[in-house]
Amino acid sequence: MLSMKNISKVFKTDLVETHALRDFNLEVNEGEFVAVTGPSGSGKTTFLNIAGLLEGFTSGEFSLDGVNVSNLSDNKSAKVRNEKIGFIFQGFNLIPDLNLAENVEVPLRYRGMNASERKRRVESALEQVGLGARMKHLPTQLSGGQQQRVAIARALAGEPRFLLADEPTGNLDSLMARQVMELLENINQQGTTIIMVTHDSELARRAQRNIQIVDGQVCDFSMYQPAATGTR
Amino acid sequence: MLHIKPILSSLMRSKSAPVLLLLQIILSVAIVANASFIINERLSLMQRESGYAEDQILTFNLYNFDPAIDNMKQNQVDQQILRSLPNVIDASYSNMLPLSGSGWMDRYVDGPDADTAKSTPGFAFYLGNEHLLNVMGAKLIAGRNFTADEINTSLDDSGMMALVSQPLAKAFWGDESPLGKTMYQGEQAVTIIGVVDKLQGAWVDHENFEYSVIQNIDFGGSSSNKSYMVRALPEHIPALEEAISKALYAENPNRVVENFQTLTTIKNLTYSNHRLMATVLSIMVVLLLLITALGLTGMVMFNIQRRTKQIGTRRALGARKRDIIEYFMVENYLICIVGGVIGGMLSLVLGQQLMSLYSLPMVPVIYPIISVIGLLVVTTLAVIVPAAKAANISPAMATRSV
Ligand SMILES: Nc1ncnc2c1ncn2[C@@H]1O[C@H](COP(=O)(O)OP(=O)(O)OP(=O)(O)O)[C@@H](O)[C@H]1O
Ligand SMILES: [Mg+2]
Repeated sequence: MLSMKNISKVFKTDLVETHALRDFNLEVNEGEFVAVTGPSGSGKTTFLNIAGLLEGFTSGEFSLDGVNVSNLSDNKSAKVRNEKIGFIFQGFNLIPDLNLAENVEVPLRYRGMNASERKRRVESALEQVGLGARMKHLPTQLSGGQQQRVAIARALAGEPRFLLADEPTGNLDSLMARQVMELLENINQQGTTIIMVTHDSELARRAQRNIQIVDGQVCDFSMYQPAATGTR
Repeated sequence: MLHIKPILSSLMRSKSAPVLLLLQIILSVAIVANASFIINERLSLMQRESGYAEDQILTFNLYNFDPAIDNMKQNQVDQQILRSLPNVIDASYSNMLPLSGSGWMDRYVDGPDADTAKSTPGFAFYLGNEHLLNVMGAKLIAGRNFTADEINTSLDDSGMMALVSQPLAKAFWGDESPLGKTMYQGEQAVTIIGVVDKLQGAWVDHENFEYSVIQNIDFGGSSSNKSYMVRALPEHIPALEEAISKALYAENPNRVVENFQTLTTIKNLTYSNHRLMATVLSIMVVLLLLITALGLTGMVMFNIQRRTKQIGTRRALGARKRDIIEYFMVENYLICIVGGVIGGMLSLVLGQQLMSLYSLPMVPVIYPIISVIGLLVVTTLAVIVPAAKAANISPAMATRSV
């Protein structure tokens, strides 16, 4: 489903070169729920950005859904992001001037979907996250947890194959974090592949597979998963 | 596909900045529409054909201060001298100079009984001899010119004849020919013997500017101060000034020959206020559009700064670069069109006020429309560059920026 081989990513500034990822290798299968942990600055966001085609990489091979996406044009990668990938951000990234329905609608409009189909999907996505009754509200009228649920609805509305989440619970208290986690688990059970970066080891343990990024490289603990679960 | 609805509702929710810009656009359109109308009015006034051989006509003043001079005779002698100078095509006395801003105005009535007669509109009233038409370069389109023996020397003489300008003939007689009609100045009868294609008066802003009459009176003898018009090819005119002075002083030194001006110079002087007005207003229009453009660019740049993360997020969610550019274009076109419509209506109201205050003609609707179109062009130029910059914001800004 997602396959990265020897990916490296170097950030060059005037003074320094940062090797954010080096010889990064990862295979993620269809339907997996992968939690990514690692120290700050280890390259988690960089990995997720590359996985989500938000930025390019310096060398290596990357294929998504069996398609080599190493050298897609800007328009093509926008199309792939729009159709195959759902994003959930730490800061929710809702558009403050748009109400919830309009926010959820954003990726559907970029897909060129007609109005009635958009309406149907927006409603069902907001229902799914339990905010069907608040379509006309503005993001600022919601709690953080609710805002993150709107962001999840926005990601779901496009019915993506992948859900990429960068610390989706980072700005939430533990109760809300757990609600969001449950929502993600539900979504995963319906078949969506999820890759989630988190600092919360408790949440990470709930995922089916854990990988750790250290210094821009993967330490895959998936084989130790049973043991990790056992310690709980 | 243009996503107007969400852009509009987003605009409605963000308050101050678009409102200020909107106000600026409303005022710009209102002012630009009226100013460009006034500019165009002035330009079209200035561009009217005079019908005169402007650059071939040299005018000057002659003042006889010698009490021994018989003005009547001297006038005839002087005109002979002028006509006999080398390179002079023709020369004539005239009671007034075309386009000069000063002159005579009169009207005729169509019967001897003042109570029942119908009056012509007011017209510029030229008095001259059979040479005047040729000096002016005016074109006779019907009837005939005066002959030398038909020229009177006083307003009280009998046998008055007149050449009328075509616009005056149209205004008073319609499609009927004025030739042979007898008109009256008080008791005195005047016969219309010719129609001149174009014969402008002295006052360029007067509504009857095109209504003129030449009557067969060489009035030059009745005054010691008079003006003459001499026609010559433009290349001969500079040398003629000296030749004329020399010849006239040789005839009699007790007088002043002065104030040589071509009709072109007179016309330029007369229209100089209009030209100044058009220039000042044009500069104002350009400045206003520039300021509006700067305002637009400023707001777009400010919005791009403020929305870096939002733009990154939109890109992450599948917006192509052109979607981002489109967003800013549509957003600003919306402000521009709303502002343009309100400003356009305001300009009509403003125009109405100006109309009643300064008796200007009503601003035609086309001016606000053109102003709005002009503003759309300005908007495009002002927004496209920062918008293209916004489109280059990396999708990674969705996760990277705070
Ligand atoms: N745009 C950039 N320019 C230069 N260096 C960058 C850029 N983005 C990231 N880096 C560097 O790349 C490295 C990896 O950053 P990344 O954001 O992927 O870390 P992270 O694991 O997500 O950290 P955190 O847990 O704090 O979010 C860091 O050293 C960071 O400073
Ligand atoms: Mg990070």
